[in-house]
Amino acid sequence: MVYYFSFRVIQNNIGDMLNGLGLGLFIAVISLFFGIILGLIAAFAAVSSNRALNNIATWYTAFFRNTPLLVLIFIVYFGLPSVGIMMGRNVSFIFTLSFYAGAYMTEVFRAGLQAIPKGIIEAGQAIGLSRFNIRRYIQLPIMFRYVLPSMSNYLISLFKDTSLAASITVPELTYFARKLNVETFRVFEAWLTAAFLYVVTCYLIAYLLRKLERKLRIE
Amino acid sequence: MEGKKVKKVIVIAMLISILLLSLTGIVFAQKSQLQTVLDRGYLIVGTGSANVPWHFMDEKNELVGFDIDMARILAIGLFGDPTKVKFVEQSPDARIPNLLTDKVDIVIQFMTVNSSRAQLVCFSIPYYVEGTGLILPAGGKYKNYEEMVAAKDRGEKITIAVLQNVDAAERVQQALEGAVDAQYENQGLVYQAINSGRADAGAVDLSSIMWLASREPEKYLDAGFAFWPMNYACAMRPNDQVWINFVNSIFMEAMCGEQYKLYNDAYAKWFGVELSEPKIGKPAIYR
Repeated sequence: MVYYFSFRVIQNNIGDMLNGLGLGLFIAVISLFFGIILGLIAAFAAVSSNRALNNIATWYTAFFRNTPLLVLIFIVYFGLPSVGIMMGRNVSFIFTLSFYAGAYMTEVFRAGLQAIPKGIIEAGQAIGLSRFNIRRYIQLPIMFRYVLPSMSNYLISLFKDTSLAASITVPELTYFARKLNVETFRVFEAWLTAAFLYVVTCYLIAYLLRKLERKLRIE
Repeated sequence: MEGKKVKKVIVIAMLISILLLSLTGIVFAQKSQLQTVLDRGYLIVGTGSANVPWHFMDEKNELVGFDIDMARILAIGLFGDPTKVKFVEQSPDARIPNLLTDKVDIVIQFMTVNSSRAQLVCFSIPYYVEGTGLILPAGGKYKNYEEMVAAKDRGEKITIAVLQNVDAAERVQQALEGAVDAQYENQGLVYQAINSGRADAGAVDLSSIMWLASREPEKYLDAGFAFWPMNYACAMRPNDQVWINFVNSIFMEAMCGEQYKLYNDAYAKWFGVELSEPKIGKPAIYR
């Protein structure tokens, strides 16, 4: 069986594919932003002495971490409208991915908070800082430096997860690659180009974040 | 002198070997898919499992539908036995890749004939002329096509779900100019989009609409608008005229020849229309 490569279809559609790549990246960054907020709230709930808050954080992470992302996407996109909650496809996907990211971030932040030496917190208490100020000026800055490598890895993972948005017609890179595939049957050209764009982008993200990590590293 | 004789014998032996090898090659190259299928003892058909009334699972969890019956007609032509078929379930976008990578002998999966596909595969003669229609949710905003047109004229945004395919966007525009197309990767998601209110209507095969609207009238409505006629045919790997001719002969006989009852029965079963038997005399295709 001989396969004749023809990248002309890619040439004609590269604009759409790059736009899709940009949208995927935007969705990943926005979702990580909301995921960090949700993760912080849930992480503090998880390490607090309040049992009810502990349980809420545990159930939240257990549900979102153990349910496949595609299933969550379908629940939010196709399920919520039947109970009267209708979001646009992009908003619906960002909403899902944010909660999904938040669940993973919770565990990352919880580990970061628990890694802070107790003596530093006690030092804050000794100089009369309130609980809120201890979190704001001591725990958060130290924790963020600890967890930056994990967050960087997770951003790359989230970016790759945006490919699932194609299933609810979000016009990101995978959506256009699949469209090209069904319209022209250029299987290898469409998917190899998508893979190449994903690899290059992930590599660039990793490179930039490693630089940031080196800059903020705790010596 | 002796050395020259040996050389001559070696050269002749080599020439004969090359000739034999090339002849064997020709024999191998000429082995048709028809012979491969007959030797194997059963036919391998690529098809789907989620599109009524073409290919879907019945209450006994068995694959049924018009495409399935066409495959069984082919099995009768091959082995005189409709059960000598193995079905490989595949998504619509796997139809051509599975065929070209030798995973199936033939694709019978409501496949529309078009020029870009015809550059990659060989099509049989068509076995059905499909049209695209608009399906509406029974409790939705619109009751028929006229209401949709009126709403469009008032400036309302109308979303039509459609299977991601060649010409999907163009098809939606032909149905209702200015409507927004939402292209899903499989037909199941198109129906989910309609059910959940994500889309106001779905542009799907008219045969599927007729099937669903008659069986689930509390859930779906036929908008009463059909367009875009297209031929459905089987796809086969190129460069195998023997196999293509065989499939065409069987289909021709089933549609307007000796085996017409097989096709007519399947047609009545899945489309609810009784076809007349072929007339004696001039062949139907030349009338």
